[in-house]
Amino acid sequence: MLKALTKSIWVFHVSAGSCNNCDIEILDCLTPRFDLERFGIQLIGSVRHADALLITGAMNKKSVPRMKKIYAQAPKPCVVVAVGQCALSRHMFRYSYNVEEPLDKILPVDLYVPGCPPKPEAIIDGIVKLVKKLRSGK
Amino acid sequence: MNIRERIKERLEGKILDWREFSTRRIYFSVEKEHLFETVKILFKELELRFVTASGLEAPSGLEIIYHFSFDRSGEIYSLRVFLEDKKNPRVDSITPIFPGAEWIEREIWEMLGIDFTGHPNLKRLLLAEDWPEGKFPLRREDEP
Repeated sequence: MLKALTKSIWVFHVSAGSCNNCDIEILDCLTPRFDLERFGIQLIGSVRHADALLITGAMNKKSVPRMKKIYAQAPKPCVVVAVGQCALSRHMFRYSYNVEEPLDKILPVDLYVPGCPPKPEAIIDGIVKLVKKLRSGK
Repeated sequence: MNIRERIKERLEGKILDWREFSTRRIYFSVEKEHLFETVKILFKELELRFVTASGLEAPSGLEIIYHFSFDRSGEIYSLRVFLEDKKNPRVDSITPIFPGAEWIEREIWEMLGIDFTGHPNLKRLLLAEDWPEGKFPLRREDEP
């Protein structure tokens, strides 16, 4: 079933408390220099149309319930992509009073793209790996 | 007369220490009783612009620094107020002078527990709804 999603991935971007750096790199991927839109990868305005949920930022106490709500609204099956060190491991906010758990304790994450922020090349490489994995059906 | 001399003259007797870290960054402190009046003079008479305030905890007390910019010359004047009473820190709110201070005072209140007397709307700004009352995330807890 997930295999059917690999043709033109519609992405819903959630910033769960990021510093905007990862978000700029994501924009870089989509704009003409790297132009992922050629492959049908597009940002969309509503999570109800999404094939993939792209999450940046450390999960703080206020964004976690909202994140869960957004994930519940996404049509299943749905791929969850974590971009940036904050989304992966909370990075420098690990001991913060406001950040309790990393993202993969909250939602099932399919792809991790590390970096602070990850380069567009790294994000593209991640997508290629994810698409390959989904197509092979494992 | 330039702005530096005008501030010194107008606030004579109130300024506790005056330090110039560079030609454009000047710090001075006043007693907390004089804060409201000082801010009023800086804003209304000398026409400095309020940028923001920062609150911090020092070993011997709490400190608020109000940053004012004088845009005609590009100088930043930072006004320090020191609060020794850590158990019950209290200072006059400057929101009645300019509403731009409302949110930063709310944030300092919830993060450091400094009570702003005269603030029109002192309630939570950023913390989660279920954050326990009376706990302040930027205060050290291990101290008595």
